Amino acid sequence: MHLAEFRRILKQAFLVPFLTLLVLGGILFWQTVVTRKAQYDLDHCDRIRTRIAELERLIIDQETGLRGLELTHDPSMMAPYKAAEGPIQDRFSRLHDLLADNPQQLGNLAQAHDHYLLWLGFAEEIQSNPSEFTDVQQNHRGKELMDAVRESLRTMTDTEDRIRQQDQDEAASLEQQEQVVIVAGVLLAGILLSTFSLNRLRRVSSAYRNSLAALQRQSDEIFESREWLYTTLSSIGDAVIVCETSGGIQFMNPIAEELTGWPLAEVRSLPLQQVFHIINERTRQEAENPVAKVIRMNKVVGLANHTALIARNGTEYIINDSAAPIFDKDRKMIGIVLVFRDTTEEHRKEAALIASEKLAIAGRLAASIAHEIHNPLDSVANLHYLLARETDAAKRAEYLAMADQELNRTLQISRTMLNLYREPAAPVRIDMAELLESVLLLLHRRLANQQIAVEHSFKGSFIVEGFPAELRQVFTNLIINAADAAGYNGKIRITMAGIPAAELHGGGVEVVISDSGDGIPKSAKEKLFQPFFTTKGEKGTGLGLWVSQGIVQKHGGTIRVRENGPDTLPGAAIRIYLPAQTIATATSRSTAYLE
Amino acid sequence: MRPAMVLCIDDEAVGLRVRKIVLEQAGFQVLTALDGETGIQLFISNDIDIVLLDYLMPGMDGGEVAVELRRTKPWVPILMHTACVDLPQKTVNMVNSTLPKARGPKILIDKLQQLISASQLQEER
Repeated sequence: MHLAEFRRILKQAFLVPFLTLLVLGGILFWQTVVTRKAQYDLDHCDRIRTRIAELERLIIDQETGLRGLELTHDPSMMAPYKAAEGPIQDRFSRLHDLLADNPQQLGNLAQAHDHYLLWLGFAEEIQSNPSEFTDVQQNHRGKELMDAVRESLRTMTDTEDRIRQQDQDEAASLEQQEQVVIVAGVLLAGILLSTFSLNRLRRVSSAYRNSLAALQRQSDEIFESREWLYTTLSSIGDAVIVCETSGGIQFMNPIAEELTGWPLAEVRSLPLQQVFHIINERTRQEAENPVAKVIRMNKVVGLANHTALIARNGTEYIINDSAAPIFDKDRKMIGIVLVFRDTTEEHRKEAALIASEKLAIAGRLAASIAHEIHNPLDSVANLHYLLARETDAAKRAEYLAMADQELNRTLQISRTMLNLYREPAAPVRIDMAELLESVLLLLHRRLANQQIAVEHSFKGSFIVEGFPAELRQVFTNLIINAADAAGYNGKIRITMAGIPAAELHGGGVEVVISDSGDGIPKSAKEKLFQPFFTTKGEKGTGLGLWVSQGIVQKHGGTIRVRENGPDTLPGAAIRIYLPAQTIATATSRSTAYLE
Repeated sequence: MRPAMVLCIDDEAVGLRVRKIVLEQAGFQVLTALDGETGIQLFISNDIDIVLLDYLMPGMDGGEVAVELRRTKPWVPILMHTACVDLPQKTVNMVNSTLPKARGPKILIDKLQQLISASQLQEER
């Protein structure tokens, strides 16, 4: 039920009884008016009868006075007669007024008046000559006249009595009717009101029941969805901690409990740092509290690399983590959710992979060193053999000079190799053009064997800070990849350009290596920098690009596949950006992290 | 009986020169080539008894040269003599024998004589 409907019912509940009672009151009032009218009619009759009786008594008084005069001839006997004259006129006129609404009674009154006037004429006669009034005949005439007056007055009284009787009957029946109306009205109003109230109350109560059921359903649903969310959060494979913006812990899932070593029951409202104790694995310094960082940045933040979580019992886990603000519908931050994962094992595996790639590189290097050194050594061994048999001094001198030359060459090769792969402890200034030339020199034989032409012109000096051996490894890798892709008689183009500082990166150097091969298949593009991804079958370890990416990222640079353009060959094009100043340190080795 | 004719194919100029002297002193006749193409031409135009072949060379590598040699005169033995440590298996299968460099001239001479006798025996049969 809507609120509007409920209000309507409330209005009805007030108005309907009010109107019903108003109607009932009206009916009762009307009944009272009718009853009062009947009562008035009765009173009217009574007044008329009283007046008639008074008139009769006054006329009798006059007759009594006249009889006294007749008997005594004493005029003083006429005192009542005289006294009654005025009142009689008064009564007649009053009766005339009272009977104005009844023509029949008016006729009767007129008759009575006429008879009285006749008698009055007779009385006048006697007064003028009382001595003659001894005549019996005369006396008899007086009696007759008076009888006529009385007769007409009685007729009036009778008529009035009859009217009164009628009025009385009417009043009685009205009274009965009134009782019926009252009883019926009250009954009707009672039934109406109770039926109405019952009906309205039923509606309200059914609406109440409905809304109660709806509320129950809603609360069930809310409970279920809460349960569901809770179960989901608890079942997530990563550790989850939810904090208030003040930093107090609200929730932790079982994995977070396991990693931190704190049970949820003990940590509620505890500050995060107490439970989630993180440090930089290498520097051993406290890491920034992720809650503070999220509040400061107002967005999702990831943890720095090499973050270690120290559990309650002192166990150390390398973790991968992100913290995100929780916003309400008005974009107001109401909490922070922290998701993290134990990556200790992954880090170990990563380190092992890097080590194995290094071994593979070392193997390849050893093979190429062996080749470079065995050639002059072979000559030296042969010369040694010749020297042992030669007696001619000139020839011996020639052989010795040749042996010396070949030994020098061997020494030269080993020195070059050592210089190439000896790593300084801190980043040094590197001329990229020089570095690339040295890489190309080292690969010269290999590229020449495949008849691969390398186009490059490095004009000017491009200086970056970094670790030369690692960068050589990167470019060796990329050029070998390009050579493999270009194939026999193929081409490789290397371009280098300085990059001015921009908003998102500092100034640096961009190197683009492209080849004349078939390009990178779309399916391979995404996996290119993943470990163990190789297109070379058993010839590749699948770690080259992955390690290269790690090295470039460590230098603060980027490495990605580039779109082909007029400045590149049609095959694969890889772009490497290296910043002029690096943040890399010797201790932060090329531990590539999986993105 | 004329001395055996050895064809040496190697891009190492000094090594080739020294090897030629050593082999000549050991009684062989020696022809030298600094790359595969020259070697193949000499191989076709001369009566070669054995080929001493390097593997890593600019242009055609030892494997490709061996294929060509086998195609023209399959009976001539080939000794793969290289500093390369990871020879492809199919090349190893194609040549008569392999000998790493810097093992000393005595082993080289013995190996050459061995292979020449073996091929002569086969010819007589």
